[in-house]
Amino acid sequence: MSTVVKSKSLWKHAFEQLVSDRMALMSLLIVIIYSLVAVLSATGLLAGNWADEMGPSYAAPSGEFLFGLDIFGRSVLAKTIKGTEVAMSVGLVTALISAVIGIVLGAVAGYFGGKVDEFVVWFYTTFTSIPSIMLLIAITFIMGKGLVAVYLALGLTSWVSLCRLIRGEVIRHKDREYVHAATAIGGNDFRKLFKHILPNVLHIVIINFSLTFQTAIKSEVILSYLGLGVQGRPSWGTMIDDAKLELARGVWWQLAAATLAMFVVVLAFNILGDALRDSLDPKLKGK
Amino acid sequence: MKKYLVLPLVLVMAIVASCTKKQVTNEKVLNVSVPQKVKGMDPIFASDRYSNNEVAKIYEGLLEYHYLKRPYTLVPNLAQDLPKVSDDGLTYTFTIRQGVFFHNDAAFTGGTGRELVAEDFVYSLKRLADPKLQGLGWWLIDGKIMGLNEWREKYANADKVSYDEKIEGIQALDKYTLQFKLTKPFPQFLYALAMPFTFAVAKEVVEHYGPEFINHPVGTGPFVLPKFEQTNRIVYTKNPTFRKKTFPCEASEEFKAEGLTADCGKQLPLLDKIVVEILIEDQPRWLNFLKGNIDYVGVPKDNFSSAIPDSKNLSEDLKKNGVGLLISPSLDVTYTAFNHDLDLFKNVKLRRALSLAYDVSQSNKLFYNDTALPAQSVVPPGIAGYMESYKNPYRSYGEAENIEKAKKLLAEAGYPDGKGLPEITYDCPAGTVSRQVGEFFKKQMEQIGVNTKVVQNSWPELQNKINKRSVMMYGIAWGADYPDAENFLQLLYGPNKAPGANGSGYNNPEFNSLFVKAAIMQDSPERTALYEKLNRIAAEEVPWIYGVHRQSFVLKHAWLKNYIATDFDAGQEQFLNIDVEKKAELSKKL
Amino acid sequence: MNTWTYIARRTLYVIPVILGVCFLIFVLFNVFSPDPAMIMLGKHATAKQMAELRAELGLDKPFFIQYLDIVKASFTFDFGRSWSTKQEIFQMIKQGAIPSLTVTLPGFLLSTLISIAISLLVAFYRGKMIDKAVVFFCVAGMSISSLAYILFGQWFFAYKLGWFEISGYEEGFPYFIPYIILPVIIWVILSIGPDVRFFRTIILDEVYQDYVRTARSKGLGENHIMFKHVLKNAMVSIITYVIIQLPFLILGALLLESFFSIPGLGAMTLNAINSSDFPVIRAMTVLSAVAYIIFSILTDVLYTVVDPRVRLH
Repeated sequence: MSTVVKSKSLWKHAFEQLVSDRMALMSLLIVIIYSLVAVLSATGLLAGNWADEMGPSYAAPSGEFLFGLDIFGRSVLAKTIKGTEVAMSVGLVTALISAVIGIVLGAVAGYFGGKVDEFVVWFYTTFTSIPSIMLLIAITFIMGKGLVAVYLALGLTSWVSLCRLIRGEVIRHKDREYVHAATAIGGNDFRKLFKHILPNVLHIVIINFSLTFQTAIKSEVILSYLGLGVQGRPSWGTMIDDAKLELARGVWWQLAAATLAMFVVVLAFNILGDALRDSLDPKLKGK
Repeated sequence: MKKYLVLPLVLVMAIVASCTKKQVTNEKVLNVSVPQKVKGMDPIFASDRYSNNEVAKIYEGLLEYHYLKRPYTLVPNLAQDLPKVSDDGLTYTFTIRQGVFFHNDAAFTGGTGRELVAEDFVYSLKRLADPKLQGLGWWLIDGKIMGLNEWREKYANADKVSYDEKIEGIQALDKYTLQFKLTKPFPQFLYALAMPFTFAVAKEVVEHYGPEFINHPVGTGPFVLPKFEQTNRIVYTKNPTFRKKTFPCEASEEFKAEGLTADCGKQLPLLDKIVVEILIEDQPRWLNFLKGNIDYVGVPKDNFSSAIPDSKNLSEDLKKNGVGLLISPSLDVTYTAFNHDLDLFKNVKLRRALSLAYDVSQSNKLFYNDTALPAQSVVPPGIAGYMESYKNPYRSYGEAENIEKAKKLLAEAGYPDGKGLPEITYDCPAGTVSRQVGEFFKKQMEQIGVNTKVVQNSWPELQNKINKRSVMMYGIAWGADYPDAENFLQLLYGPNKAPGANGSGYNNPEFNSLFVKAAIMQDSPERTALYEKLNRIAAEEVPWIYGVHRQSFVLKHAWLKNYIATDFDAGQEQFLNIDVEKKAELSKKL
Repeated sequence: MNTWTYIARRTLYVIPVILGVCFLIFVLFNVFSPDPAMIMLGKHATAKQMAELRAELGLDKPFFIQYLDIVKASFTFDFGRSWSTKQEIFQMIKQGAIPSLTVTLPGFLLSTLISIAISLLVAFYRGKMIDKAVVFFCVAGMSISSLAYILFGQWFFAYKLGWFEISGYEEGFPYFIPYIILPVIIWVILSIGPDVRFFRTIILDEVYQDYVRTARSKGLGENHIMFKHVLKNAMVSIITYVIIQLPFLILGALLLESFFSIPGLGAMTLNAINSSDFPVIRAMTVLSAVAYIIFSILTDVLYTVVDPRVRLH
């Protein structure tokens, strides 16, 4: 029972520390705002008119067009907002996929040890040996193009570090007394794993989640540059890809808008991730 | 701390070293860029425009296009004269020019290049047909030369291909006489002999280098390249043993007026050296041109308005630096094809409706800066078969009534307001501009309620999808292989269905039978009439939604002389010239 | 178990991993790869020609044989010829490796040195304003897309200011140097953020160790502690981090090489991706996987040699 109390105080402490850190709080707020924007645009309440022609091709930013217009006279602001939807969903789904794979494989390997562990370690060693850019390409080739392929490609290439950490932590925890106590009262393996051990490694998952989230957002740009990205709707990646030709004619607003939008949210995630680590990682606690 | 001082020191030294290296010399060096990796230096694999161009600096063929004549005219190059053609149009006899030598190379005995003979062409054409090599130009002569297909068949499954076997259709009658016998009249045959696929290679060199022949180009041409390396810079030097060949003195009036015959009678090549830089991205290519590191460049779409503000004239900035602008129509057509295997697109009303919903003038404005010519049908201007005053009735320039007409046709086709239509996929090559073209297409279709989805593919992927017939619609372009309408009309000829050149799979018996008739006719008013008829069918049946015939916009620095835009630029460099003094003077300002 | 048996065991472990990598590559690139016929034969191909070509390339062989071919290639490095350029892939890799390394190696060395220096500095002033500011800038720098750095850097510093070559490459020392300066600078800027963050954490981990407290209580100066003890102990983790990145340097820098027209392996890979040149993609994958495996053994071995505290499994 002592573990529950311990972990509660850890979370409470972490929360207090997070709230007292003004930067982290602001970052959290930014992430919430971005999520809201994404949800609103997904439901069509925001930027539903992104595809409409608002004015002349490549109109510069002005009072009327806040971030200017693109080649088809579409509002860059609306596209940036619509791009938020793609970015946030890519970040979220990628982080979810990688968390699920990482936790399951890591926990199973760490807990059961022996042949299972050897297999999982072999599997992720094999997997990390292949550069992720090559995996991305292969997966998009197999899956075809589109948002689902982007999710899967990024998700499947980012679970290894989490898996490793979880495995290590589970190994550390499984010989602790509280787990033995659970064995004594007749808990089965899955109960022990999910009820007792996993809550104690959850902080790693959360820290990793925020890092995977922002890496995925950045990777989307590279995928778009390679023509493997999101198809048929605006994303920050395609906007930056557009800009690579537009810049020389002096059209900087599309690059600026997408870069700025991405900058703010990635920065927020990074700061949040750091703050989470500082407050959640027991090793750093109280330092 | 000593260790940390070394690095900056080395840097400084290196910069000094590199600066002193760039001395001004009187060498005439041409600096050009290509936007794509060059696929080796073997003529039989030179299928894209860029590899084509590199191969043609080294190798030569029997014929070439006259550099300064329009419409495009074939003139002898390695042949002494144009061939004697038999009355039935089946036998072509060439006399090979005497005193033409291959470049010096270790593959020849003694290292000195030997004289070119008729047998070299026999060998080179057999190589193009070699089933083991899978040369990319095989389509050009497939089924057209007597005995060649049989030869290819025979060795397809054998271990080794025998080049010694005599073939009825290609024979060296004596050292300098070459004879072709065709299976059926093929009026475009002579064009094939001006394409790099059929250029002369030497047997000794091919055998000496084996599979590495691709990196050891040894031809008879104006420039030499001792070894081709897969780097981003290819440096050619003047061929010191080049035969007597001079700059043409005759020219079409427009070129004469521009003073392009100034170098008349001078021994070719005029340059000492060519430096080809491979620059894949647009931005560095453009910036390098502005700095004077590249002598000429095609204008990227998005630099257009800053370089050429009113779509005809150069911006003041560029003019001040002596930059010149060349506008010329290219022999090509862009289009969006339907997959005619799908029952959906067998419905001509649907095809017409979609074509009418597509605003070609807007697309021209967005992607070609309003400089292209909206295509009415498949054949571009500049060759027989094009109809100057013809207007395609299913062509829209953004007029509101055309949208209404499109909606009406769509309803008649059985899909009022797009109801009942599946989501139509539009496949296009990857790349920023292609993607934007796709987005534009999607927007246009939305106007009449048709829902489309844009999918980007790498180039081979797209080709693969077309071949597997797993496309619905796709955007693509065709550039001429040779200046004849047949090369365009064949894109819609049923039996050429994918994996042939007819990717859309359009198959119209009337069109097919007319095409077969026209394809074997020599150039004549009757053939032109047939071509026009075919062109009209291709317009009204809307097998594709036509795009535009593009114009090429090339910017060049003032020190580059004799440059003209051409659709068949293979071998062009031998005619170019550099004004070294002017370059020294102008580059200071850049 | 002594160190030598460990090293031997660790080395033997390479075999199942390479077999696994080959299997993954085989599944990803052979089973699902597109038909090469279109890539190689172009727009005028006929069905018959395609069948001939497939036989010529050995793609009609059973899957098991194809798998064995990949395994063989990962030891012999004989990858055959490229589909699109028809060059021998081994030669292509040999030619591209040097230009890639001339960009990535100096970039990597510089960024590592600078990052370690900055990390020591901010660890010294941990918790102070300067620490927070540096960490913020690192994170901020990481939040901008690399494409944006390249586009802007090339346009502004190379073209507008004319400080550097816009693009290009010349072989041989020292001729390549003017061409690599800007790419190297961009590389350094791109990697300083993550590096500083990582090194700072490692160094801070050491700063809070007991021995540092002991040293301090003995009255040793902060400088002495920082360089003599902390850096020395953090070095193990730093070296591990550095070595494990080395194999990726061979892969080159995809975007940098493409924009600055450096004929390296990154540009080659990008070109292969754009032309669906599967043998080249596959070869680069095998190559970097093998390099990664070798270097990860090296790190493990080094770790056990340098730091005997590490338990030998």
